[in-house]
Amino acid sequence: MTGMERIKAALHFAPALEAPVIPQVFGFTAKMCGVPLDDYVRNGDTLARCQLKAQKRFGYDALFGVMDVCVETEAVGSSLSYRADQYPTVAYHALTRPSDLTNLSLPDPGRAGRMPEILRALDIMRREVNDDLLVVGVVLGPLTLATQLMGMEKALYLAIDAPDEFMKVLAFAADVVTRFGRAQLRAGAHLTMIFDPAASPAVVPAHFFREFELPLITRAFAEFKREGSLASWLHIAGPVGPILPYYASAGVEIANLDYQVEPAAARRQLSICVNGNLKSSAFLCASPEDILDASIRLLDIFQDRGGFILSSGCEIPPESRPENVAALVTAASSRRGLHA
Amino acid sequence: MDRINDNRCLSRLLEALTAGDCSRVVDEIHDLREKGVERETIIVDGIEKALELLDAKCTVDEFNLLEIMLVGRAAMAAMKEIYPQEPGCHQDKGVVMIATLEGDVHDIGKNIVKMILSWKGYRVVDCGKDCPLKVVIDMAEKEKPLAVFVSGLITTVFPLVARLKESLVARGLGDVMVVAGGAALKQLSAAQMDVDYVAEDVFGALRFLENRVGAVP
Repeated sequence: MTGMERIKAALHFAPALEAPVIPQVFGFTAKMCGVPLDDYVRNGDTLARCQLKAQKRFGYDALFGVMDVCVETEAVGSSLSYRADQYPTVAYHALTRPSDLTNLSLPDPGRAGRMPEILRALDIMRREVNDDLLVVGVVLGPLTLATQLMGMEKALYLAIDAPDEFMKVLAFAADVVTRFGRAQLRAGAHLTMIFDPAASPAVVPAHFFREFELPLITRAFAEFKREGSLASWLHIAGPVGPILPYYASAGVEIANLDYQVEPAAARRQLSICVNGNLKSSAFLCASPEDILDASIRLLDIFQDRGGFILSSGCEIPPESRPENVAALVTAASSRRGLHA
Repeated sequence: MDRINDNRCLSRLLEALTAGDCSRVVDEIHDLREKGVERETIIVDGIEKALELLDAKCTVDEFNLLEIMLVGRAAMAAMKEIYPQEPGCHQDKGVVMIATLEGDVHDIGKNIVKMILSWKGYRVVDCGKDCPLKVVIDMAEKEKPLAVFVSGLITTVFPLVARLKESLVARGLGDVMVVAGGAALKQLSAAQMDVDYVAEDVFGALRFLENRVGAVP
C-alpha cells in the first residue's frame, strides 16, 4: 500500500493494522538536512527539499507545506522578527486597534508575504509524490489568526468587552485563511488542515469556541471541500475533550488529539478518524523504546476500530531525536508487517 | 450595617468578580465602602475568596486562560478602587522575576502570573517576552530575586529553559529558584529542564513559592 492508500483506508475505517503514520514534522526536517530554520521558513524550494528528504529517510505517509504560525499575519501586515535557528515571531501586530481593520485588505496568496513560497513548496511536493503520499497544506484557525493580528491578550479582552468589533476581526481572519487554504489546494495540497491552538479549551471555554469559532471553521471546511479537499482535518492542541462533540457538525473528518486527551475516551466519543497523540516533548527526551511502546499502546486501542493515524499530538520540536521519529514509524510498519 | 447585609453585599461582589465584570465590581465596592465595610473585609471575604474559587476551578477540565484573565482583571480593578492612591497591595514579600524567553512572544501566561504574584504581595520584575537568557541572568544579578518564573507556550524554548539554572549558578545565584510553566513547558519534568518546579497553573506556582519561602504556615 502507498501512504495515501493507508490514509484513505483510515478515513474509511479500515482496521488499525493498516494505520498510517504521520509525524508532525516541520522545522525538524530542516534540522535533519542541516538547513537553518531561517532558510526553511523563507524559501519554498528549501522547505519542499527538506520535507521530501526527511520523508525519504523515515518512510512516513505525509508531507507538510508548513513554515510557521506567522505566515498569515505577516501577509496581512504584521512585522516579524527572524532569527537563524528559531521560528520567526511577531514584532509588531498589524492590528493595533480594531478600528484599523478598515485599513487592512485581504492578502493575495499569490503575492503576499511568504504565502507564494508555501504555494511553491506544495506544488513541488505534489509533483514529486503525485498521489502516493498525502500533501498537507495548513492554515491558522480564525481565532488563532485574530490573536496573531492583535496579540492574544488584546484579542481575548476585545471578545469580551466589544464582541461586535471582535466578530469583525474574526470574520476578516476567516476570509484570510479561507482564501489561503483554497489557494493551497489549487497549488497541490490534497487537503488543508486548520491549525487553531488559540481555540483550545485551555485558552477559551467551550461555549466561546461554539459561539465564535465553530461557524467560521465550518464555513472554511465547506469551502475547502468545494475546492477538492480530500478531508477536513482540524488540529486544536490541548485538552479538547469539551469541544469534541462539536466537531461532527463542523464537518471535521480527522480530529487531532493532543497528549492531554485520553485516547480510549475519544474513541468512545467520536465516530470520525483521529490522529495522535504522543506527547511532543517525548520526542526530545524519551528513548526510542518509550516511543515504540507508547505507539503500540495507541495502535492497540484503535486496533478493532480503525479510523486512526499514528502521530504526535502536536508539532515534533525541531531539536527532537531522529531515532524517536524512526521509532514512531517503526511501530506502525512493524504492526503492518505482523498482520499483513 | 449588620452582618447579614454585609454578607449579601459581599456575595454580590464575589459574583461580579467571578464573572469578571469590572464595572459591576467597582459599583459593588463603592456600595460596600459607603456602607462602612472595612477594606480588609472586602479584600479577605471578597477578592481573596474569588481567587480561591478560581484556584479550585483550575482542574485540567475547567482551566482556561480567558477566565483567569477576566477574574484577574476584575480583581485588579477592585484593588484600584479600594486603594486609589496606592499600589494594589504592599509588595514586601520579596522579589520574583518573570520572563518569556527568546523565541516565544506569547506572554499571556506570564502576565497572569504577574497579576497574581503582585496581588499576593511580591514585587514582580517583568523581563518581558522574547527575552534573551543573558538579560534574565543580568537582571537576576541586580535584583537578587527569590525566584525566576519562566513561561513557555512553544516547544522551541525548551533548550533555553534548560540552561537557565546553570547560568544562574555560574553567576553565584544558585539559591534562586527556577519555576517553569505554560502549555509547552509543563510537558516536561523539573529534572528534564533542570528547574526547581514545573507548575501546572499559576496557583500551583504560587503555592510552591509560598511554601518554599515560608510565607504560608
